[in-house]
Amino acid sequence: MALIITIPGLVRLALVRNPDELLRVNDAAVVTRSLSGRGGLFNRSVAAKLTVFRAPDGDIWPAFRDRHDPLRAAHQASLESALSKIDALLQQIAPEITELGNYVGGRRAHRSMGVVVQQAVGRLFFPDYLASEESYAAARTLQAWSSAWPLRAAWLRRSGALKAALDRIQTASRGNMACAHATALAMNNIVKSIELMRELALHGDNLAKIEPKDALLRTLRAPARVVRETRDGDFIGLIRLRSRTLVLLAVENARQQRASDPGFAFFAGAWNQCPAHGLVPALLSNVWQAARTRATAGA
Amino acid sequence: MSRENDGFVFHRGLLQAVLDVAFRVINFFVRWDHLPTLLGSANLSVFRERLREHNLRHTGYGTTPPGWSTGNDRWRSADGSFNSLDHPRMGMAGARFGRNFPLPECVPDSVDDLLEPSPRVISMELLARDTFIPATSLNLLAAAWIQFETHNWFSHGVPEPENEFKIPLKTGDTWPEDERVDGCMKIRRTVPDRTPREPWLGATPTFRNLNSHWWDAGQIYGSDRDRQMQIRSKADGKIEVGSDGMLPADPAHPGADLTGFNDNWWVGLSLLHNLFAREHNVICDGLKTRYPTWNDEELFQRARLINAALIAKIHTIEWTPGILGHPALDFSMRANWSGIPCRVLRAVLGENSEAAYGIIRSPTDQHSAPYAMTEEFTAVYRLHPLIPDDMDVRRIDAAGVEHCKLVDMQGRATRKFMETHGFVDLLYSFGTAHPGAIRLHNYPNFLRQFEKDGQPLLDMAAIDIVRDRERGVPRYNRFRELVGKQRVKTFEEITSIPGAAKKMRAIYKGDVDRVDLMVGLLAEDLPDGFGFSDSAFRIFILMASRRLKSDRFFTDDYRAEIYTDFGLDWIQNNGMKSVLLRHVPQLGPALEGVNNAFAPWNVLRGSAWPSS
Ligand code: HEM
Ligand code: HEM
Ligand code: HEM
Repeated sequence: MALIITIPGLVRLALVRNPDELLRVNDAAVVTRSLSGRGGLFNRSVAAKLTVFRAPDGDIWPAFRDRHDPLRAAHQASLESALSKIDALLQQIAPEITELGNYVGGRRAHRSMGVVVQQAVGRLFFPDYLASEESYAAARTLQAWSSAWPLRAAWLRRSGALKAALDRIQTASRGNMACAHATALAMNNIVKSIELMRELALHGDNLAKIEPKDALLRTLRAPARVVRETRDGDFIGLIRLRSRTLVLLAVENARQQRASDPGFAFFAGAWNQCPAHGLVPALLSNVWQAARTRATAGA
Repeated sequence: MSRENDGFVFHRGLLQAVLDVAFRVINFFVRWDHLPTLLGSANLSVFRERLREHNLRHTGYGTTPPGWSTGNDRWRSADGSFNSLDHPRMGMAGARFGRNFPLPECVPDSVDDLLEPSPRVISMELLARDTFIPATSLNLLAAAWIQFETHNWFSHGVPEPENEFKIPLKTGDTWPEDERVDGCMKIRRTVPDRTPREPWLGATPTFRNLNSHWWDAGQIYGSDRDRQMQIRSKADGKIEVGSDGMLPADPAHPGADLTGFNDNWWVGLSLLHNLFAREHNVICDGLKTRYPTWNDEELFQRARLINAALIAKIHTIEWTPGILGHPALDFSMRANWSGIPCRVLRAVLGENSEAAYGIIRSPTDQHSAPYAMTEEFTAVYRLHPLIPDDMDVRRIDAAGVEHCKLVDMQGRATRKFMETHGFVDLLYSFGTAHPGAIRLHNYPNFLRQFEKDGQPLLDMAAIDIVRDRERGVPRYNRFRELVGKQRVKTFEEITSIPGAAKKMRAIYKGDVDRVDLMVGLLAEDLPDGFGFSDSAFRIFILMASRRLKSDRFFTDDYRAEIYTDFGLDWIQNNGMKSVLLRHVPQLGPALEGVNNAFAPWNVLRGSAWPSS
């Protein structure tokens, strides 16, 4: 059952954790991705945060485009088809996969692992994409922005750090908003997974014992929450959501209840299915494999 | 990174900020229409300021930059381009409709929900007229007038066959068998906008305005140069009229007069088009006397400016207070045009103040977005219940009435009807007939089974519902919220029309958020004296002022160098009544003692107003 919190004037939100319910809410006609900010101060502050990814006269980042936006569907399909050439793409980012494999295998790295992930993801779009500590810091800033408390958020905005981060990411992405999304936000999930792989590999002979496919299932992480809003009120299954409820879909929590299905982390099969839903699992498996290979070679 | 609304930014003054807070407090206790006149009026200007800040949204232009022609700086171009010299595409014919709400709010339902509940059921059960409900404070010219005006401001064009909506019909529906496709009623879609979409439009559909968006009397003068040349006599700046003084026939549009825009033609439109074509020609005579060296073009264009401004003035200070009989409104509308006549206030606010001196002649301002008509504005002007099904035609010089059907006064039949009954008697008859009240259960039945050349049979009531849905105009409850009112929770909160709430609950399956905008507006209980709903009214406050405030020719360029002193005096000294009396002096007795030309006129002979 969804957790619904209403404090008039302050907040109206619903937290959805049950996997079936989550999919149903995600699919409901009254539920939209764009946030109006109505419903309370908290709703307003969350909406205000996300407007930076959806400037009124600028481009809109893909994960904030509405379901019926024709450009969203077109981009989603074309990216999905580009990312379906999995072998060729993994070949293209082989150097980064090796580097990540080394990291998982416990080697000390000469740069942050996040930089490597960002470069790997960026090079899926542009073979000459170059990540740096600065570009990764920009991604961290945008990730922090989305969940920052008001004071921190005000600081990020006031200091110009937010604008600088947006500019850096968008410039590096050459106007490709899917690349911006991937190198700023989506990459964070891969970073988490690699971190977990490293922990996993450090324990006993896990690296040799665990097959890449299982390693993937044990370390894959979905976004903790994605946000939605109910434009109008309606019954969705058994829950009644009032208009202008901020809906938090706790994807990671729900995924853990469906751990055997790697597609769940990516909304596979839903309208908003992640175009990287095939590629990311392959990438993670390869990283594990690379760590194994290195371990065998180095032993 | 991004250029918000093509560079237009809203600036709120200090006084406005203070008033905004003050009225938030006041409105917590009292609604604007229950305040004393002056406070009510100030309250409305606060609403308008809020709306100007939040409720103007650019959707891109959808046109290519126009070419310059001589005179574009001095008078209105044929297609409305270069009204703004810095943003020449703004408001020109073919430019897109804007929006009054954030774009993500203006997204149509997906296919399954779009036709739910059935527009045909709504047409039959909530809209169909049982017995005519008259609007007794108005005459029928007021109805013709507003259609005449909307034809100036916008048209979405005439729908073409392709991928029609199919509305399932219940068993027992009387919709003719030969009009059905797969057992359904078909409704054509709005003409699509095929110009390239900007990436930031999101899921919001866009449509283009066939007419120029400006308040430029385009219904008379057309929205392109070819049409403009077609209607002109090409001598002394005049509009072509026949030897009988009436507009000639349009060869391309049987039954209609040759004029700027003559879609959905009927006698009401013909009367007003003829009246203001005559007015144009008289203005030309006046100009020629004073400026004998001016050529045809110069005379035509100056007369157009003057005529268009006179029409805008009549609309602002006569038609609007006529239909909205609220004291705060009457006051505000006059203030809109010429300011509040108070010396102290004027001194305090300064000469650029709209409140003190009116919008006319104040500095041009687009507020937060480039000027454009909006989809929501179109939606709130769906006022078809104004049209009666029957009308009594009277004679000014004899007693007796002839009962006529509206359906025989429109389309192909229009010119014939005009010739048979004559300009004078028809004006008199319109002045002495009532339009319909803008309510549920008052939609003219002939429009619910309407034959239009080149179109399938039309149920206009169902079409009105479908149009708002297909164009992504929010439904009633969300619309309320977005214009700054509370959502309602029950059907009873919307309406006290007997039985209506119950019917609506059944049709909308208990979900008040699904109520269609037009249904809600027609059902809504009205403020005292209002002819239409308070929710629609919020859009009017914003957009009506905007038609003046954004237009260079009503603001920066409302001056003698452009209009001539003769022109400014003409606008100042005339109104609907003087126009009527100039061209049809026989109407004198009928208009005697009538304060507002859109209120019922005197019935001179025979039975007076039917007791209704
Ligand atoms: C572990 C890694 C990833 C996970 C768990 C993940 C998960 C998701 C999820 C849950 C969504 C739906 C979000 C919503 O509906 O609000 C999404 C959308 C999206 N993801 Fe990913 N993602 C990952 C990596 C990537 C990568 C590497 C790319 C690009 C190469 C990518 C591109 C996208 C795009 C473009 C969308 C928007 C789809 C749309 O148009 O609706 N993601 N992702
Ligand atoms: C005899 C009188 C009238 C006739 C025959 C008529 C007929 C029509 C027709 C055929 C349409 C187009 C429907 C479509 O979208 O496919 C239309 C639209 C419309 N009518 Fe009327 N109408 C009449 C009077 C009025 C009046 C008095 C008003 C009052 C303001 C009005 C306002 C509108 C509006 C706002 C639209 C929408 C235009 C657009 O979408 O651009 N009409 N009418
Ligand atoms: C009492 C408050 C007001 C009310 C109820 C009100 C209402 C309206 C309405 C219903 C219209 C006609 C709708 C239309 O033609 O689309 C209108 C038009 C207009 N209003 Fe107001 N308004 C108010 C205050 C003001 C103020 C304070 C100003 C400016 C100082 C103003 C300026 C205009 C202008 C310029 C028009 C255009 C003329 C016209 O279309 O009638 N209004 N107003």
